[in-house]
Amino acid sequence: MTKPTRTSRTRDEDKLDTTTSPESAQLYDPDNQDLSQGRTSSLNRWDTPWFNWKLISGTAIVGIIVLIGIFGRFLWDTELVYVGKCPLNLPPVGFENSRGQTGTWSHPFGTENSGRDMLALTIIGAPNSLLVGFVAATIGIGIGILLGFISGFIGGLTDDLIRLLAGITITVPSLLVLIIIQSLVEQIGLFTMATLLAVFAWPGPTLVIRGQVMSMRESGYVQMARLSGASPLRIMFGEIMPNLLPYLAASFIGSVSGSILAAVGLETLGLGPQRVPTLGGTLYFALEAAALLRNMWWWLGIPIFILSLIFMGLLLINLGLDEIANPRLRKATE
Amino acid sequence: MANIRSVYSIRPQLTLTVITLLFCCHLGFYGCGPDPTPQATVESKSQNTKAKIAREDTVIFDYDGGPIPDPHNLNPLVPSPTGPGMRQCVWEPLFSLNYETGEIAPWMGESFTPNEGLDVWTLKIRAGVKWSDGEDFDAEDVIFTLNTLLNDTTQSLSDAASMQQWVKQVERVDSLTVRFDLKAPNPRFKLDYFSVRVGSSMVILPQHIWVEKDPFTFKFYDPKKGWPIGTGAYQLITATENEFTFRRRKDWWGAEVEFRDLPVPEQLVWMVTGVEENRALLAAENQLDSIMDITLGAFESIRSRNPNVIAWKDKMPYVWLDPCPRQLSVNHTVPPWDNPQMRKALSSIIDRQQVVKIAYEDTSFPSKTIFVEYPAMQPYINVVEDLWINPNSDVPTGRSLIESNGWRLNNSGFYEKAGKELSLSIQTHEAYIEKRRIAEVVVEQLRAAGINASTRAIAGATWDENKAFGNFEAVMDWDACGSVNEPWLSMNRYTQQFLRLVGQRSPGNNNYVRWSGAGAEEYSQIVAEIGVLPLGDPGIEPLVAEAMKIFMTEQVVIPITQARKLIPFVTTYWEGWPTAKDNNYHHPPTWWMSTHQIIQRLRKAER
Repeated sequence: MTKPTRTSRTRDEDKLDTTTSPESAQLYDPDNQDLSQGRTSSLNRWDTPWFNWKLISGTAIVGIIVLIGIFGRFLWDTELVYVGKCPLNLPPVGFENSRGQTGTWSHPFGTENSGRDMLALTIIGAPNSLLVGFVAATIGIGIGILLGFISGFIGGLTDDLIRLLAGITITVPSLLVLIIIQSLVEQIGLFTMATLLAVFAWPGPTLVIRGQVMSMRESGYVQMARLSGASPLRIMFGEIMPNLLPYLAASFIGSVSGSILAAVGLETLGLGPQRVPTLGGTLYFALEAAALLRNMWWWLGIPIFILSLIFMGLLLINLGLDEIANPRLRKATE
Repeated sequence: MANIRSVYSIRPQLTLTVITLLFCCHLGFYGCGPDPTPQATVESKSQNTKAKIAREDTVIFDYDGGPIPDPHNLNPLVPSPTGPGMRQCVWEPLFSLNYETGEIAPWMGESFTPNEGLDVWTLKIRAGVKWSDGEDFDAEDVIFTLNTLLNDTTQSLSDAASMQQWVKQVERVDSLTVRFDLKAPNPRFKLDYFSVRVGSSMVILPQHIWVEKDPFTFKFYDPKKGWPIGTGAYQLITATENEFTFRRRKDWWGAEVEFRDLPVPEQLVWMVTGVEENRALLAAENQLDSIMDITLGAFESIRSRNPNVIAWKDKMPYVWLDPCPRQLSVNHTVPPWDNPQMRKALSSIIDRQQVVKIAYEDTSFPSKTIFVEYPAMQPYINVVEDLWINPNSDVPTGRSLIESNGWRLNNSGFYEKAGKELSLSIQTHEAYIEKRRIAEVVVEQLRAAGINASTRAIAGATWDENKAFGNFEAVMDWDACGSVNEPWLSMNRYTQQFLRLVGQRSPGNNNYVRWSGAGAEEYSQIVAEIGVLPLGDPGIEPLVAEAMKIFMTEQVVIPITQARKLIPFVTTYWEGWPTAKDNNYHHPPTWWMSTHQIIQRLRKAER
């Protein structure tokens, strides 16, 4: 399900040019050249690529949504997220619905036509949607790292097999398959859904990581480690992987976005968890009940706004990590 | 003037929705509404199908049952749904019950009268009725149809079970007269099976086409041969998964024998409209003339955008009482629901008032019994007053019934016995939002009381099959439907003659909950006694009380609500739709076989 992210495209292109691999970037980094030319004096503890405004603001946006999910449930009655717990069709505070009812502070974000509270849906649904993305991406990237390293480092028949498997999986119309699977599964939970999404989330990272590992395995420090008698496992995960961490993080965030996208798509089709509140599920109910026609803009608007925030946050994190992983990008934005 | 294809055009007023839908599609939301791309269509040879019919000459009906799984299977005997519109304008009934007048109006039949003993019925067919291919509609067709049903040993063809229950033999008296010899007296024979009592009635087959065809597999569709044929004033032109189109025939028998005028609409379209949003938008844009059912909120929104939208009633709650109350049916072969006490527990826990408030937005009311609450049914509802269902929940009673069967609450708040959690999975028809909303509310109520309930919407055809073959734990349905002015038909649906093992098809979807045992036997005997009594016989009421006491003690099904339907009509292009005030010439559903009556009354709007 993972769509090519800006990061992965950049790295795909970069891998053709060995001078831009993380390892070679260390050797030829203009920043490092600057350092060698006497700019050491200008360094202080704030002068680190990790203090990237995109990364920080993206993390803040996603963090706020996570915090709302963690602390919101202590501050708001999350039981209101279920059918029949509230008056129907109330607008948010300060607004009026088509029947002339005004919003109340008892339900500040309003309610929908089955009596679900929109604030409770936000508190529970937004983190749930994030959770599906993170779990699916964790599984997908985990498998991608494992297979990508094995494939890229060992090569030969193993590489051929893994590449073939990944290639086949990529060509499968994942959304179609997911729709069929979801419609066959009687009751689907968040983790089941995340696992299903992960089935299609690994090939992209696998192939890209493989490319990175292949470009690194002949580099000097890896050769040095080999000569020192380090085991392949030690070389893969002790020597190469630390150099790929920012890049893997960016891939991971891209994968999270892709998984959330797929999950929301399925949920909006009514194929998500039946009773577990999610943003896509809320969209499904709103579309099914003609929310727009009924002027219940809040029913669609709130989940769309939260989803926009999530994607914006993840995109900023991704861009930030991209810049950290690729000094040339960082230099360009300075 | 926009032609029929323009129903798919995007108007400026739709922009906001389109943007939203595009957003959804961008998120991977494929197929978010009915597919506007017509499937490959096969055109009828016998009609000038190339000519475009203007919008103002076309009536567009909504179909909310979801895409037609096999639009080219138009066999009216098979249990899967046939194409929308076929029964409304191609296949005509012999007689048609009018809920407003209470009369059974003759259509293709002229009379259908019993002997004194009520066990011999004589049908006289109207002279001059012809099939659309020019053949006469006569006694041979009726006899052929009846014999086809009587010879169905599987009882899986529509009406086969009921005909085999009653009919000993049919005989030709003359070319327009058929004699039915029944196995037992039946005062309701004409009403129950030949008069569109609820939804549909028996479709008579053209013998000259069906003879030597396998009634189980014949699809009755071949445009090159002009199939399907009917006797109605319209001919099928195109049949796709999402749309059925019919053109008016100039040679309709009804006009030729001056039974009725040729209907005014030149073209009829039944369109699969998908979710409520689509239906509402199409109606607001005058791209639908009749909507099957819609929620109150959506109706109010359409009205605010299109003042030409009307409903059965002109004021709140706008609705018409459908004859099929909604109920929760639990499979009696699935433990622990094979235990009547556990079924009673479910019934006690359900808060029907809350269901009405949420699922119907207060436009309906809770059921007291399995019967529809029409005036003619009141005597039979009143006679079981002591058995009336509490409209509010009684959770303590429900819990004590569950606990008396050894279930105890676990740490998750659900009942558990021998390490197994008490759960209930309710299947709903994915196309019917009303039943899904009822199920959602019931699930929350059951969960709050300690039953780990869940609901799952499944494709209509699968839902039907699961019911028929017993592959379900619980379903939200309306299958006690049938009685409208006497109690026998609904009661008969749960009798032992229809009991089948799980895995075998329930005949006519009767007793698919698979109720059995001594109570069921006793109940069936009482219902059989009711069945032979004349309509309105004073002996019926005490028998109903006796039978329903067994039925409710064993909680065979769990009645939930009466089904009030909000059926909007758009008068921009067509007037003459039935309304409760001033124009109640007929009841309003346009998905019934009696729709011929409504189409006859439609006139072009004068604007």
